[in-house]
Amino acid sequence: MSRPLVTVLAALFALAALAPIAVMLARIGSGDLAGLFDARTFTLLGRTVVYGVASAALALALGVPFGFLVARTDLPGASFLRPLGLVPLLLPPMLLAMTWTVLIDLRGAPAAILVSGAATFPLVALFVARSAERIDGRIEEAALLAGGLRAVLRVDLPLVAPAALCAACIAFVFTVNDFSVPDYVSWVGPKFNVYADEIFATWRQHSEPGRAVATALPLIALTLASLLPALALRRRRGALAVQGGDFRSPEPLRLGALRWPALGFAALLVILAAGVPLARLVWEAGGGQRGWSADGFRSAMGRALERSRGDLANSLVYSALAASACVVLGLGLGHAIERARRGRWLEPLALLPIAVPAVLFGIGIVVCWNHDWSARFYDGGGLVVLLYVGRYAAFPILVMSGAVAMLDRSLEESAQLAGVRPARRLARIVAPLLRPALLGGWILVFVFAMRELDAAILVPAANHTAMFRIFNQVHFGRDDFVAALALLLVFLILLPGILWSLFGRRRLELLP
Amino acid sequence: MSAAAVLLRAVSVEAGKARILGPIDLAVAPGEHMLVAGRSGSGKTTLLRAIAGLARPSAGKIELFGVAASEGPRLLLAPERRRIGFLFQGGALWPHMSCARTLDFALRASGTPRAEVARRRGELLDWVELSGYEERMPGTLSGGEAQRLALARALAARPRLLLLDEPLGPLDAELRGSLLARLGALQRELDLTVVHVTHDPDEAAALASRTLRLEAGRIAAEPREALR
Repeated sequence: MSRPLVTVLAALFALAALAPIAVMLARIGSGDLAGLFDARTFTLLGRTVVYGVASAALALALGVPFGFLVARTDLPGASFLRPLGLVPLLLPPMLLAMTWTVLIDLRGAPAAILVSGAATFPLVALFVARSAERIDGRIEEAALLAGGLRAVLRVDLPLVAPAALCAACIAFVFTVNDFSVPDYVSWVGPKFNVYADEIFATWRQHSEPGRAVATALPLIALTLASLLPALALRRRRGALAVQGGDFRSPEPLRLGALRWPALGFAALLVILAAGVPLARLVWEAGGGQRGWSADGFRSAMGRALERSRGDLANSLVYSALAASACVVLGLGLGHAIERARRGRWLEPLALLPIAVPAVLFGIGIVVCWNHDWSARFYDGGGLVVLLYVGRYAAFPILVMSGAVAMLDRSLEESAQLAGVRPARRLARIVAPLLRPALLGGWILVFVFAMRELDAAILVPAANHTAMFRIFNQVHFGRDDFVAALALLLVFLILLPGILWSLFGRRRLELLP
Repeated sequence: MSAAAVLLRAVSVEAGKARILGPIDLAVAPGEHMLVAGRSGSGKTTLLRAIAGLARPSAGKIELFGVAASEGPRLLLAPERRRIGFLFQGGALWPHMSCARTLDFALRASGTPRAEVARRRGELLDWVELSGYEERMPGTLSGGEAQRLALARALAARPRLLLLDEPLGPLDAELRGSLLARLGALQRELDLTVVHVTHDPDEAAALASRTLRLEAGRIAAEPREALR
């Protein structure tokens, strides 16, 4: 890709994603580091690590069999279960916490682990499914002839293991940086204090960015330590296929007598992780313990729509704009990572905004833009869009670099030799071939932006979004209103995916 | 005497720390059809990619028709300015473009005026005997048809040098014969210099003016008269 284009896109990424981090790091004074290594820090960090590892292990235990079953076997209803299995990832984790803390008498760490594991298992399932589909059919056939299904699994599992572990690393990062689930769990039961909470509390107590950043440093180190292996594992594709190369799709594996138990597992997982939370919201919106009625449900939905129309519209517009900007960044920078000389250095930089706790990123945005000269921008929706772009551009960048890596290089080289200019090659050859990845990247950013709370909580204009209103109302105990608004938000979050599954002819590429 | 169409002096290509080609000295005369034979992994494709500018040499100098194209790892002439047609292994056809769109896209990119595009596209399709295939998508073409479309695309920019990477690989004997005949006729008609990589030198022996054998990235058997 042309150097000026990469430079412009990299500069935009730096402004949105790296500037808030750089500004925050520059604020650390020597006094802020005092107390960083005290016993309390280590206790919190240890608790956070245990919480993250346990959630990632649960996600792995659920996601690997689910992903493999729906993608590669003759499981009855696999094509139906596969998209449904994604729903828990799309739901704001706080909504899952609201459901499970009501239904089960679990509190504290076990509740948080259960909720975070259930929220992130679809990530593992997605990685495993995609990886399992890219195993050449001939490799499996050779294994099948050598030793049946058992031999196939022994060949396949090591091939999908890097993808599964990569997803588990990302699930760990999502969990340890999430502030809403521990916060909610602590609100309904005994205090479950984790590191992300501590950063927010430090900022609230002292209003000193340097102190908050210093507090966050161990968590940043922990997150980077998990993301770098994820990055390395992502590149270990082994025998997996390249688009445009010599590849034979694998046939669905016959489960035989295991079909029905496997269906039971997959269906139960979908029901528990997606069906129950949604059903609980419907029940709550219709009156809940006061007695459910269709009229009550309609009335709650009507009220939620009427009172939160502006917030829903803001969420929709900000998220759609951010997703569109991120996809442009993702296409250009993701391509540069794979194809440009020395493009790989962009990859760890792209990861930084994910490695920084959301709360800290939000503080960074505030510090960057809270000035007299930028007051109008600071108070407007533009800052919310910039925050979403900075926070989530990494996902389409990684999705696109992964997709470009799977694209046969000679498709671009043939265009280059025909005299097609770099930007045009990107637009006419690369982009059309990677349309599912582009749309997948768009949807990913849209979903994360719609459910964003942790960073947005600090930005003035983000206080007028649907997720913030839910967060606010939860603490006032208005359950029917909260449930109705949550259902509207979930519908909007799921809408692009529903439209694609109805009208799109190819499967979305959602993964880095 | 006119300059060599392709001149390589001490060219090496490395991947990481491993040398996968060279050092190689080689000259190909204008109008020549040179076969490059060798086993898999002997560096044949890397040689073509270095000539095209798609692989950066770690050392050495490449000249095309008397113009310096690369010196060490520096590309002095961008791949798209080398006037090279490249028939990739497997065709590398753009799967989302019909035959007509593929050729129109390549023709426009090479600077063909808009008004000329339809005529030139017809000419190219005629050359490769694919007239009437304008709306067909690459996925619906047979192996031979796909290779012929890839050949037409490679010729769209009116190249002086045609690089063929195992062009007959996926084809049966009958199709190989017909594609070879087409290639021979086009080479004469368009006055092309051809460097043709194959693992089976017998398949195109009738067209070749000479054969070069690569082994482990080095020239194992090189006709003396090739070096000038």
